[in-house]
Amino acid sequence: MSKRKHDQRKQEPQKSVVSKAVTTGFVSGVLWSGIGAFTYFFHFSEVSPASFFIRSFWQNEWTSTWIAEVLGVLAVALISMVTALVYYLALKKLHGMWPGIVYGILIWLLIFLAFNPIFNAVPAWGELSSDTMVTTFCLHVLYGVFIGYSISYEYHDFNQSAK
Amino acid sequence: MANKQEPQIPISSYLKNNEQVMDKRAGVGTSFDLGYRKFPVLKTNVSMYYVTGLCETPVIVELMKELLELNHLDKDEDIFEQIHDHLVHQQVEIVETIDDALVEMLSGLVVFFIDGERKALVVDVRTYPGRPPQEPDTEKVVRGSRDGYTENIIENTALTRRRVRDGRLRNEIMRVGERSKTDICLSYIDGVADPGLVKLLKKELENIKIDGLSMADKTVEEFLVHQGRTPFPLVRYTERPDVASAHLLEGHVLVMVDTSPSMIIMPTTYFHHIQHAEEFRQSPITGSFIRWMRFLGILASVFLLPLWLVLVLDPSLLPEQLAFIGPSEESSLPVFVQILIADIGIEFLRIAAIHTPTPLSTAMGLIAAVLIGQIAIDVGLFIPEVILYVAIAAIGTFATPSYELSVANKLCRLLLVLATAMFQVKGLVIGGMLYILLLVATKTLNTPYLWPFIPFNAKALFQVLIRMSIPFTKYRPSVVHPQNNKRQP
Repeated sequence: MSKRKHDQRKQEPQKSVVSKAVTTGFVSGVLWSGIGAFTYFFHFSEVSPASFFIRSFWQNEWTSTWIAEVLGVLAVALISMVTALVYYLALKKLHGMWPGIVYGILIWLLIFLAFNPIFNAVPAWGELSSDTMVTTFCLHVLYGVFIGYSISYEYHDFNQSAK
Repeated sequence: MANKQEPQIPISSYLKNNEQVMDKRAGVGTSFDLGYRKFPVLKTNVSMYYVTGLCETPVIVELMKELLELNHLDKDEDIFEQIHDHLVHQQVEIVETIDDALVEMLSGLVVFFIDGERKALVVDVRTYPGRPPQEPDTEKVVRGSRDGYTENIIENTALTRRRVRDGRLRNEIMRVGERSKTDICLSYIDGVADPGLVKLLKKELENIKIDGLSMADKTVEEFLVHQGRTPFPLVRYTERPDVASAHLLEGHVLVMVDTSPSMIIMPTTYFHHIQHAEEFRQSPITGSFIRWMRFLGILASVFLLPLWLVLVLDPSLLPEQLAFIGPSEESSLPVFVQILIADIGIEFLRIAAIHTPTPLSTAMGLIAAVLIGQIAIDVGLFIPEVILYVAIAAIGTFATPSYELSVANKLCRLLLVLATAMFQVKGLVIGGMLYILLLVATKTLNTPYLWPFIPFNAKALFQVLIRMSIPFTKYRPSVVHPQNNKRQP
């Protein structure tokens, strides 16, 4: 019995954990930036994914339509695959959801403080409304938890069952 | 289960001594439901103890007939052996202490003490008062089996065994409770369920120190999963044998508690609470549709009211397309107070409906719907929109298959409404985040509560979102850590 069990586990190679991490990043990007677009629709936040990745670089008629929002969400999803990979390489050994929360906050600071000059369509740090700050902050925390907790859980679960 | 304070009393070879102890310990002369009969067999006195309400009289009569027949024979063999051989029943056991004999007697077995013997015989003749298996009220389906678990643990194991005729299905029984001596059965499939979990549960069950388990399953649950401060239900209950055996086959562990028809399924996640047997009785696509509608209802039951409230409080948030939302006329009460009053009113109704007798509940519904709803608007207490949104949220609550989850969600909704009323957008967003983080932080028996959403598991989440057709579900869910992953050998 135990021998057969072992064989089954071997069918799942280490690289599947990496690909799972990348998938996690993609889904996380779609989900949370999708909700971000939703909060933009209801004016909770002045910025949407499209403000960052579409409207900062092109200002046409179509950039304020829903197509731009969808493209913005997709852009976030693609970039999230990288952030998930970074988390996998650097922090996968940490436990629980707190590292994910911190990771999310770091990304939020990075985007709104460090990278702010790149994004023309996003107001500077001091000019953001408090609602925008809170909404984007919460979304990034959830985004970070989603990526961080999923990757570390998958990593520890895999290592535990492989023993 | 031995009582640590008092040492176990061995059975004396003098029948008189045993009778005295039985009188003293169980009050056989005092309690009228305890029966006692003394009769001679082959010139030896035999005394018989039983509980009048829990035994099957025809069986006892048959046993006595057979024993008294012995008097017509003249044999010099060992009297104990002879009596043992002539108890015509498949379940006869030998006990050596009065304590064991007492427990067995009080469970409904009949005990025979024989003069000159240091052992007693117990025969399982019990029949518990109970109802036949019926369809459970809380988990109805349009088609499918209509039997449900009952209050009798033996019947319940039988109902499960009917569906899983596997020799590897294990039903381990133990007694918990110093005074109540309640039977608890741990069911799992050996070679599928996680042995670590089974061991952990067994240890937790053995460590329960309490006098009685009157609230049966719920009491046991609170000992097993350490609830803490989360309002969310940490185990899933089911009264349907088909649901229970489906979970057994997935690698879950079942805890049955005597006197309760609700089986505890462990480990459980949030998404176990929003599935229903009905989805599996429909075609996969219809089942998925039902499931999506249910998710929508549950989502509405938590987030619809606060979202609407924040849009009413600050109409500038409304997108142009939705500008019609929000009250057109001024009302005398703040909107959030109206929401709270209406929601609390529905809560009154729900609580009252649980214990109102059926003839009165019609009248109650009438009062609630016609009088309060309409007149509250006419008087100017509520604006019509409040009633609409509160009603949708309430229906979303009722669409939640798990009753426990619906109440917990209702509590969260009230808190979200309060937070939104105080801090508008910030209250709603931070409240919503805390709701999700609270769920993420919850763990039951080392299982993350929001799995497979956070931590994310693509395959499992896909199966939650889409009701897969059974031939395509080839693997057991990894969250139960099954010993054998494959469902289809």
